[in-house]
Amino acid sequence: MNSLKVLRGSNITTLTLFASFAVMCLFFAAQTPFFLTSGNLQTIISTLAVNGIPAIGMTLVLITGGVDISVGSVAALTGVVTSLLWLQYGIPLGISALIGLLSGGLVGFINGSLVTLLKINPLITTLGTFSVVRGLAFVFSEGQTNLLSNEAFQFLGRGQILNIPFSLLCMIALYAVFSLLLYHTAFGRNLYMIGGSAEASRLAGIAVTRHLLVVYTVSGLLAAFSGLISVSQLASSAPRAATGLEFTVITAVVLGGTSMAGGKGTLIGTLVGVIILRTLDNGLVLIQVSSFWQDFARGLVLVLAVGFDQIRARLTGRMKRRAV
Amino acid sequence: MNTRRRWLERGLRSTDVQEVLALVIMLVLIMLLMSQASNLFLTPRNLTNLLMDTTTVGIIAVFSTMLMISRGLDLSVAAAAAFCGILIGRMQETNGLWAGAVVAIGAGGLIGLINGFLVTYVGINPLITTLGMLSMLRGLAFVLSDGLTIPVFDLTGQRMDEYLAFAQLAEGRAAGIPYPILIMLGLFLIGLIVLRSTSYGRALYAIGGNEEASVLAGLSVKRYRMTAYILSGISAALAGILLTARLYAADPRAAPNIELTVITAVVLGGTSLSGGQGNLFGTLLGVLIIGALLNGLKLQSVSTEMQNIAQGLVLMLAVAIDQVRQGRVMFGLGTLRRWVQRKSTG
Amino acid sequence: MADTPLLEMQHISKSFFGVKVLDDVPLTLYPGEVLALLGENGAGKSTLIKILNGDYQRDTGDILIEGRPVAINEPRDAEMLGIRMIYQELHYAPDLSVMENLLVGSLPRRRGRAGRFFIDWKEARRFTTESLKLLDVSIPPDALMRDLTVVERQIVEIVKSLSREARIIVMDEPTAALTPPEVDRLFQIVERLRCQNVAIIYISHRLDEIFRVAQRLMVLRDGRHVATRRVDEVTPAELVELMVGRKIEERIPSSADSAGSQPVALEVSGLTKQGAFEDIGFTIRRGEILGIFGLLGSGQFNLTRAIFGAEKADRGIIRVEGRAYTIAHPQEGKNAGIGFVPVDRKVNGLVLGLSVRKNVTLSNWRNLVRAGFFRQGLERQHTQHWIEQLEVRITGDMEVPVRFLSGGNQQKVILARWLEANVKVLVLNEPTWGVDVGARADIYDQLEQLAERGLAILIVSSDIQEILSISHRILTIYKGRLTGEFSRAEASKERLLQAAAGGGS
Repeated sequence: MNSLKVLRGSNITTLTLFASFAVMCLFFAAQTPFFLTSGNLQTIISTLAVNGIPAIGMTLVLITGGVDISVGSVAALTGVVTSLLWLQYGIPLGISALIGLLSGGLVGFINGSLVTLLKINPLITTLGTFSVVRGLAFVFSEGQTNLLSNEAFQFLGRGQILNIPFSLLCMIALYAVFSLLLYHTAFGRNLYMIGGSAEASRLAGIAVTRHLLVVYTVSGLLAAFSGLISVSQLASSAPRAATGLEFTVITAVVLGGTSMAGGKGTLIGTLVGVIILRTLDNGLVLIQVSSFWQDFARGLVLVLAVGFDQIRARLTGRMKRRAV
Repeated sequence: MNTRRRWLERGLRSTDVQEVLALVIMLVLIMLLMSQASNLFLTPRNLTNLLMDTTTVGIIAVFSTMLMISRGLDLSVAAAAAFCGILIGRMQETNGLWAGAVVAIGAGGLIGLINGFLVTYVGINPLITTLGMLSMLRGLAFVLSDGLTIPVFDLTGQRMDEYLAFAQLAEGRAAGIPYPILIMLGLFLIGLIVLRSTSYGRALYAIGGNEEASVLAGLSVKRYRMTAYILSGISAALAGILLTARLYAADPRAAPNIELTVITAVVLGGTSLSGGQGNLFGTLLGVLIIGALLNGLKLQSVSTEMQNIAQGLVLMLAVAIDQVRQGRVMFGLGTLRRWVQRKSTG
Repeated sequence: MADTPLLEMQHISKSFFGVKVLDDVPLTLYPGEVLALLGENGAGKSTLIKILNGDYQRDTGDILIEGRPVAINEPRDAEMLGIRMIYQELHYAPDLSVMENLLVGSLPRRRGRAGRFFIDWKEARRFTTESLKLLDVSIPPDALMRDLTVVERQIVEIVKSLSREARIIVMDEPTAALTPPEVDRLFQIVERLRCQNVAIIYISHRLDEIFRVAQRLMVLRDGRHVATRRVDEVTPAELVELMVGRKIEERIPSSADSAGSQPVALEVSGLTKQGAFEDIGFTIRRGEILGIFGLLGSGQFNLTRAIFGAEKADRGIIRVEGRAYTIAHPQEGKNAGIGFVPVDRKVNGLVLGLSVRKNVTLSNWRNLVRAGFFRQGLERQHTQHWIEQLEVRITGDMEVPVRFLSGGNQQKVILARWLEANVKVLVLNEPTWGVDVGARADIYDQLEQLAERGLAILIVSSDIQEILSISHRILTIYKGRLTGEFSRAEASKERLLQAAAGGGS
């Protein structure tokens, strides 16, 4: 009952989502025996976090009716800042990583400030920081890829606890914490309220500005965290890293039923959306479809899923009216 | 009170003029700055280059402006341009370049049709629709080209005329001005007239201003919307063709992130993302400002990345200034002020 | 009534862009009283209450509560002082539950050190159910706002304000969407609140409500304080005069005898849409004004929307001047010769950012456009014609965005639009909602003149006074069915109300 309530308010019925996921898995399993091997599943789950973690932030941002295009750039910047501080300035890696993380938070905070104080449209704001931050990543790194081999640090992306990837554990913990935040605290509910009606929230005395600042900052921090994980996995940082992350993440979140119009969305849906996209990529590689088809498939899935849902919503709406 | 109100109204009506003026000043400042930095900047040769570089963005921006006035959005334009280029590249051997170009234009129209259908009839958010389309088209462009650049060049030497004529699209000049620039300026002029004094233009403003009211006034809103998306797709195809002719090659990576540059230029030019307002004169200035900026930086051998930074900053700065000028941020600053007051008083 | 005022607002002034909208306005409110705040649109009522709620900052003046000056800089400050607003326009999150919308900004927390971070959903649900009982409505706390009717949403908005501890409640046209029994219930609650020494500022255009519920009234005109009186000291006529600043004569509707012989302009038969209205049939002759009276939520707006094509009916026939049309889209309605004035003109009727000229010609470009291009001179000429004909008052010229016109003049712009489109039938929904008392008579006159020139007019209204003062013939609608037909002579308030409440005629 309680979990159902959590799912309610989702744009796409979670059932549809799970069903399409199941169909997809069956398809791939039928095509290739490798798909369902434990090795392959391990591959899938060990790479979930890179998209899954910033998707949490994106979900929050979309729920408030905004959008954050800058996540990919932030992830790259974090990697660059971290490796730069460690390699060139000899700052201990832990502190470097922390500063990298904070730099992501700072970008998020700047996004939030521009959106709330200057009231610039979130799309435009984050489009701006998208360019600026990516540029900064290039400038700081001078366009170079830096190797970053440190065993302790690699645990973040490659380590395992009880055969479960550490990054996945981090992700699950974050999903749990943010679910709790979103569904059971006033802060979380206020985000829905702000997305549903900013005016009603303001009139009810909710500090809209502060909430949005926090949300964009969180989005920046989570994007930065994703950047650290991918640096740790690849053992290198590059200014070109995480290109297109924003598109992947938005696709996953919208696929998971969060509305671009705000006021609606669930983290469970987002999680499923992330898993679907990851599995799709993985499956396509396994059945030896050229990687070029992946972009196509991703776009198609997005349009089909949302389009199908629109049509379904309209039909049920019509049926409901008939029934009255 | 009446005189006050009239003053207010006059002030509002001259907003457009003020906006354009601000953009002109901005353009002049950037050009001054760039010409100070490099004496190559103001040479006719460089200015022609500058304009040539803006044509891809400019041609698409004309129709993106119209689309955004009607409260639409098309992120798939750059991918569509690349995809259409690839179509020509693939068809050059079998069907010839011109057939390829015609198919490309048709494909652009079809892409726009699909976008428009999904947005207006299925009801998917335009951002999502065209994001999906972007992903699909880039994917298809890579699939069709195997991820490689296709030379559009007469390798056999047997169809010299055809290839030369095609290249003329980009290189030919009338009255000393290259065709792409003429095409771009022509489209701006046509667009300006369409928006200002045709029923089509009026409909776009009305739909963007208040869709429900437009429906209830008996306008065929969906048809106008569809047309705007189709035109956007065709303009992308046109840009793709010109780009292919200019580069002698079709590249699946062509026009990287151009969709963002287009939005930057359009928004810089004063078109609102929420529809109902905007003008092409502003967009043209927006396109030129970004063109001048990037060109000037290039002359300074500034890296592409720095150019990106500059472009992003210009966008944010321009929008922020506009917000302040229109008085929309008074509340925001008020909040800050009150917050500071509260903190300081305890 | 206690002697010390609960709230005093002194010398309140406020300007926007140099235009003074409030000029040295005082307001005094005693505990346990209802103060009616009256004035035409633009008189400054809403600015005054928005200052009280911290939405706007006053330029000068003081606000005192129980004699102590207070600083109200934002809605939160007002909230803290126990000031509650019930706004006319609804603000809610459609995808959240009734419960969450009701408790916005003050969701109950659990107890305990860790618990206080979390919401106590059980308590929230209990509180919501209790609060909804105040108005005797049964709305499930977990229902989504999106799934409620407009009336139910309005009720939630009212309950939202009532359910929180309040010292001062401001009600801005709270009854606009309520049915008479619901209004009665609201007034009972107001009475109960009064007994608890809560003070209420009540804003309404419906004068009869003022006399029922208020003890004192205060009138604003053009941003200035005109008068504060005890309600039992003034008559309705005096009150209107105070608001408008001149005498308004009682309207005597024109006679409709001539319409009897005219050909039928609109004939509707068997029009049905499941869940909205059933088997609707009526005719309107040229030159006739037909009123449809129904309480809100009786399906009347679905009906008019279906006649125009903004909604699709399941079955039924619509004939305009004898020709049958299938109308499934507003465009088809327009082409059949039907014009439509929606309920909420600002939201649905006008493109506010476009000029008067562009709004006037929006529905018919055929005569003004040659090969896709506007003939600008001709367009201006047509617009000018309607501006003069309908006496649209504009400060400035026809290039002014329609946003800056008053409600009555905006309504005239929509009328002009349909006249320009040369329609034969005009369907109006609540034509004078949000229109000043003074401008109302003006619109009625215009409509009558249009009818005299052969236009068939259908007016749907929940304002019985309006229906009685303008219609030649009146139909009543109840739960989607027509329940009575009255000629001008037969119609009376009592009979109409009875028929519209399903009591038969």
